[in-house]
Amino acid sequence: MSGPTGNNRKTAVVLFAIVGGMVGLAYASVPLYQLFCQITGYGGTTIIAGSRPAETVVPVDAPMITVRFDANVDGALPWSFRPDQKLIKVRVGMESLATYSATNSGQRPIIGNATFNVTPYKAGQYFQKIDCFCFSEQRLNPNQSVSMPVSFFVDPEIFSDPNTREIRTITLSYTFYRAPADKKLQALSNEKVGTSLTKKDSKTQI
Amino acid sequence: MNKRFNVFASLGMLLLLGGMNSAFAQQAVPWQMGFQEAATPVMERIIDLHNLLLWITSGIVLFVLLLLAIVVVRFNEKSNPVPSTVTHNTWLEVAWTVIPIIILVVIAVPSLRLLYFMDKTYESEMTLKVTGHQWYWSYEYPDDGNFTFDSVIVEDEDLEPGQPRLLTVDEEVVLPINTNIRILLASEDVIHNWAIPSFGIKIDTVPGRINETWVRITREGVFKGQCSELCGVNHGFMPVSVTAVSKAAYKEWVAQAQQKYAKVGEDHIRIAKAINLAQ
Amino acid sequence: MALAETAHDDHNHPPKGIGRWLFSTNHKDIGTMYLTLAVISAVIGGGMSWLIRLELAQPGIQFIDDFQFYNVLVTAHAFIMVFYVVMPALIGGFGNWIVPLMIGAPDMAFPRMNNISFWLLVAGLVLLVLSALIGDGPGTGWTVYPPLSNSTYQPGPSVDFGILSLHLAGASSILGAINLITTIFNMRAPGMTLHKMPLFVWSILITAFLLLLAIPVLAGALTMLLTDRNFGTTFFDPAGGGDPLLWQHLFWFFGHPEVYIMILPAFGIVSHVVATFSRKPIFGYLGMVYAMISIGFVGFVVWAHHMYTVGMGVDARAYFVTATMIIAIPTGLKIFSWIATMWGGSIRFDTPMLWTMGFIVLFVMGGVTGVVLANAGVDIAFHDTYYVVAHFHFVLSLGAVFAIFIGLYYWFGKMTGYKYSETKGKIHFWLTFVGVIVLFLPQHFLGLAGMPRRIPDYPDAYAGWNMVSSIGTVITMISVFYFFYVMYCAFRDKVPCEANPWGEGADTLEWTVPSPAPHHTHQITPDLTGATKPAE
Repeated sequence: MSGPTGNNRKTAVVLFAIVGGMVGLAYASVPLYQLFCQITGYGGTTIIAGSRPAETVVPVDAPMITVRFDANVDGALPWSFRPDQKLIKVRVGMESLATYSATNSGQRPIIGNATFNVTPYKAGQYFQKIDCFCFSEQRLNPNQSVSMPVSFFVDPEIFSDPNTREIRTITLSYTFYRAPADKKLQALSNEKVGTSLTKKDSKTQI
Repeated sequence: MNKRFNVFASLGMLLLLGGMNSAFAQQAVPWQMGFQEAATPVMERIIDLHNLLLWITSGIVLFVLLLLAIVVVRFNEKSNPVPSTVTHNTWLEVAWTVIPIIILVVIAVPSLRLLYFMDKTYESEMTLKVTGHQWYWSYEYPDDGNFTFDSVIVEDEDLEPGQPRLLTVDEEVVLPINTNIRILLASEDVIHNWAIPSFGIKIDTVPGRINETWVRITREGVFKGQCSELCGVNHGFMPVSVTAVSKAAYKEWVAQAQQKYAKVGEDHIRIAKAINLAQ
Repeated sequence: MALAETAHDDHNHPPKGIGRWLFSTNHKDIGTMYLTLAVISAVIGGGMSWLIRLELAQPGIQFIDDFQFYNVLVTAHAFIMVFYVVMPALIGGFGNWIVPLMIGAPDMAFPRMNNISFWLLVAGLVLLVLSALIGDGPGTGWTVYPPLSNSTYQPGPSVDFGILSLHLAGASSILGAINLITTIFNMRAPGMTLHKMPLFVWSILITAFLLLLAIPVLAGALTMLLTDRNFGTTFFDPAGGGDPLLWQHLFWFFGHPEVYIMILPAFGIVSHVVATFSRKPIFGYLGMVYAMISIGFVGFVVWAHHMYTVGMGVDARAYFVTATMIIAIPTGLKIFSWIATMWGGSIRFDTPMLWTMGFIVLFVMGGVTGVVLANAGVDIAFHDTYYVVAHFHFVLSLGAVFAIFIGLYYWFGKMTGYKYSETKGKIHFWLTFVGVIVLFLPQHFLGLAGMPRRIPDYPDAYAGWNMVSSIGTVITMISVFYFFYVMYCAFRDKVPCEANPWGEGADTLEWTVPSPAPHHTHQITPDLTGATKPAE
């Protein structure tokens, strides 16, 4: 069928293709978003270091940066999780080590994994992690505690960038969650998760 | 001797805080039409920018109203029986493109300056960690002994006289004035938002990530806010209440708080985060 | 051309019985069905807002003590108004009815797809109502942010029903958009070049392109949320490496063009009414066209101004502030062009023109509060407060909804063959005008004073303006009842309407066919190549 000025079917095919393209773009946004954050350090995404820092690059009088450590646990994970040191003063370019401790207070083995970011966000692209417990899942048995290391350095370029030149404190934060793989483990353990969520003073029960 | 001093000090602190809670609470007043009074340099600048915007936008609305009024009077079919045929006027079209651009630039310059001022990371003297939960806030003071406590709404039935409904909490957040304070924000479950109108603070707490902002409180008082992101059934019932005191009073409060909040109650949901960390 | 229509009268009878509606391939009947759906949904969605405002009339809990139900009301009210009132009325209703008439086409390019577009929407509405009745209802707000919208915090089937409802509405819109674009591109009468096309048709064409590009992104995001809730994916769950903020980016990438989808057809209708009643052609036709195109285009790159408080980098916020403010330029151009059209005109302030004057004033007020909100610094104070609620209700309830009434009154005779009572139409306008101003103006003050959104109870200081706002609700309620009375009287009195009741100012093709428009029109395509009238 066609109208006075064109072929309807051809037009419709093109338009459907555009629709399909946009759906594809929506799904492509998932890896693209992650890639974007990793490359630009957007939202405080840290960089996974390609290599250890070259020690000769750092001038001796370069300012120190304070790195603070923060820990959070999701409500559904009955772990205690805290940094073993509140803060470290580091020289840029020098590899440093920090540790976090986690204890499983639940009744069954649980697998957790951690998400992380730094603030201020613009520091993200200069915060390079060499090795981190967050790169892999952690499995803890009931009452088991573990000390988890993260080795990192702050890229000296942070002081060359006019945007980040004034930064003196960076906060590194982790949040521990039940890993998706934990669902299977929970089924295997055949037990409910240790603590239950009690809603304080909720006016209605949902 | 020390014990007695401590008792008096904590009594005095209670009186001070209690009195401030009812007397100087910074919250909205009935029939309020403008912003609450600023208590931070950020909010002062927000109010200034908004005043500029209000002048400009009111001017635009009044201008349009005026034009329409003229149209109604001069160009109704009785006053003007023969319509003109004008459909173009290049100068006019240029004017109503260029003049709005100029107005927008006049707005954008101070607006962007404010934005960058709000973002600048000033070296802070202390840190407050705020965690959002369904449906209350918890606070940690990592630099002052790393104690933590929950701040839960006081229900209507339990209010003392003078305490504002829906804005009163059982444990106040105490902060020193004239101090650059870094605020870290996290969430244990869903997205919440920690907001205090008179501070000019409003920032989401997003699970899985930490957000950071800063505040410098310029006057003493009790400052109220409410959760500002829909977070479930009791979203309207998780208020924020900050008591700002002098630096000296703050030090006293910290000493009390380290003892008061050291023990974590059994009925708390979360495993204790309050652990004394050696520097 | 009119003669040609009546000569074919014997073939011009619509089919009889329920089949006429269930299986309709007629753009007028489908348009009528869309308008009917919009009116029914408006009663439901409006009723929900009345419940909300009755609860908020005073501090304390009046009668809604189930706060999940309150959140469901807030959510459903928004979904219904956006997807089942404004969009069906303006695009499905007037788009279907008027576009083929205006371009000289006998019907839409794909009449059967037109039918399924409509019935998909009905199915969507059923699912949305079910979502509120089955389970606890979706208590997430129309923005459906995870993790709150995830299965941990909204268990049960409600949100899933809501997601499926939106999928159906989205599919309906996409198919409708394809239909409209194809019709407009391919089936214009010879001589009607794109630059001679009526502005309403332009507005629908641009809206259809926005739908085509935005709705699929919503569909993708909704599907991701659906699989997160039910099939173990973790697109928005940090535990699995996902990010709640990804949802917000995807949703608002759709959400912002969505508001232009709702207002552009309104702009189109207003252009026609202003020109008709001023008895002058529209001022600056080409500027109007390019203004709408730029609004549509720029509307795609400003989405994160809904996300200023999530913890976004300052440079990103600075960009979105600038881009958002740019939209004020083409929008301002349109407002001034309408006024310039009226300037020098000979205006009769009949009901459609009265509503249009109200639209212009109130839309400008809503628009300038939008400019205020665009500034991220100030938005820190206004985000998630009643200032935002006031802003979008001014541009939507007082913009898009006014435009629905403008279209109804303007094309009433064409669609029904009857005249409405001018006096009653004017009373309806004034009742509504006063009601909605009393309803929404005080909400600016509430926002300035710090009252948050989406709360069933508020601190006592906010009581005063809330009471005023709820009084406005009562006045608006009365105006809605009065509207039904106006319609009832028109259908009862059956005063016949001529083909063109508006005079020489109404110069588009729909005024050349009889009133009511016969079941089939333009069966012989009009030839505009030699014609001197520009289709404005």
